[in-house]
Amino acid sequence: MAAEPIVVVRDLSKIYRQGDINVVALDHVSLDITAGEFVVLMGPSGSGKSTLLHIIAGIDRPTSGSAKVQGIDIAQLDESQLADWRNQNVGFVFQSFNLIPVLTAAENVELPLLLTDLNGRERRKQVQTALELVGLADRGHHRPDQMSGGQQQRVAIARALVTDPALIVADEPTGNLDAKSAGDVLAILRSLTLTAGKTVVMVTHDPKSAAYGSRSLHLEKGEIAA
Amino acid sequence: MTFASFIAKNALRNKRRALLTVVSVAVSCGLLVTLLTLQRELTVPPESEAASLRVIARNKVSLAQPLPAKQLSVVEKIPGVVAVSPFTYFGGNFRDETVTSFAQFAVDPARFRDLIVEGKIADGSYDDFIKDRTSCFVGADTMKRYGLKIGDKMRFTGTFYPVDLDLKILAVFQGTVDDRGVFFHHKLLDELMGNPGTVGTWYLRVASADVANDVIARVDKAFENSSAEVRAETERAFQMGFISMLGNVKMLIGSISAVVVFTLVLVTVSTMSMAIRERFRELAVLKALGFKRTELFGFILAESFGLAALGAWVGIGGSWAFWTLIDLQKLTNGFLLYFEVTPRIMATGATVAALLGIVSAIGPALAVARTSVVEGLKTLD
Repeated sequence: MAAEPIVVVRDLSKIYRQGDINVVALDHVSLDITAGEFVVLMGPSGSGKSTLLHIIAGIDRPTSGSAKVQGIDIAQLDESQLADWRNQNVGFVFQSFNLIPVLTAAENVELPLLLTDLNGRERRKQVQTALELVGLADRGHHRPDQMSGGQQQRVAIARALVTDPALIVADEPTGNLDAKSAGDVLAILRSLTLTAGKTVVMVTHDPKSAAYGSRSLHLEKGEIAA
Repeated sequence: MTFASFIAKNALRNKRRALLTVVSVAVSCGLLVTLLTLQRELTVPPESEAASLRVIARNKVSLAQPLPAKQLSVVEKIPGVVAVSPFTYFGGNFRDETVTSFAQFAVDPARFRDLIVEGKIADGSYDDFIKDRTSCFVGADTMKRYGLKIGDKMRFTGTFYPVDLDLKILAVFQGTVDDRGVFFHHKLLDELMGNPGTVGTWYLRVASADVANDVIARVDKAFENSSAEVRAETERAFQMGFISMLGNVKMLIGSISAVVVFTLVLVTVSTMSMAIRERFRELAVLKALGFKRTELFGFILAESFGLAALGAWVGIGGSWAFWTLIDLQKLTNGFLLYFEVTPRIMATGATVAALLGIVSAIGPALAVARTSVVEGLKTLD
């Protein structure tokens, strides 16, 4: 029996208003992503890949169509419900790491857990587990400016993992990294799909990075190319 | 990590800016408290229970116009009047001072005794003062300030009257709301002035506060249509009349206070706006992680409120400590006797700071709320 899709996108469109002009970022896109897949979204700048990623992750809303994640049409959730949903179901990895500079690595990883019912001891235990998964168990007390770019991105992955979400979205996660660090980060993301059953959706320009994915989708002018 | 420690770390991430914000709030709050206290001291004279029983009767035309001394026999017979004494402001300069901050009054010592019931004799003898018409009765604060003792001479150069006084201190009083004044025999002033048969004002004590208004009406009526019509009023109303001569002090100080508060708002709003603007992207990341608008508003509010509260605590506390510990009489050359930073004034300062914390959080919080996660993530660091 085929695995159930975790992400179901149907007839999804997104139109931005830029002055007097309507810019079509996504044009009736449909796709399914199965649990445990490592899907790579590729395409030139302005092709709509990041917009698609943002809508799937619940940080942007479509103009029309639907995006269901684990059976929930996220476009129908209000602002507050969407915030809760993101906290419980999505982990984010950004190109520029986006760690809070005044917090240590462990505190950065702990941030999403402040919104849960876990007590301090339980939170610290989960943070330690997440940092171990990315190989930074001994760097928890370091601030971001005391770490390399690769290490900072691994902390960001630990932050994305710590709430145990089903879906991890990564927007150009290796864009600011050297080849060695990029390889480490991509290997971690791939292992998350293989060993922990997480679903990863990643946007990249880089064909070498795309090679780590289980499936690549190419977007062009807001549509998925055949 | 807790929400509180997260907020504290954010508030202190730029330590120099946080320090400057706290200092500017502290200085402004301290200044505001000082101005409000000054306003209170200048516009609300100290009150004593006995003051409510005292009435001052002056010439209806002007305080500068004297009253006939012969009015005494009429005033003392008015029902409700318990004691009465002439009370004439001398306005001299002590020693070689160009401005003397304590007042001198010519009184009838025997009659005056029944008027200052709240004071007590701290040194010397009131009977000796009564007996010697060249003597004076001096407040303890003035004795202390000038290092005077019983038997010392006080020389005053007349500025209002064209005569000088040489007075021997024979009694000292304390326990009144203003222990600075000097009182001497009216007879001495009369002699020096060639017995003009006039007094400055009449100082009365009434039987009870309930009859004060009746007594005032009776005194006014007793001299109605005479060549020297009288205007009687309570001691407090009389003091307030003096204060009104200073001009609209209340409005002036109120205006300065408003400017202080307005400047304070600008400083704090600007600081908070800068602090939030430079981490717009971080706040967008927090939103992406699941933090709601209300929680982000809570963070910004707590940060702004915390800085304002710390500044207020330093400013108001420092102001209270400063005005409580310093020798105010010495600092103001006797101009200000009291400078009490009351709980009400401190509460006003704290309320201003609290409102400031809230107001300065609103703008940045609205900007964060209006910005979507995607827009926030596009913000440059």
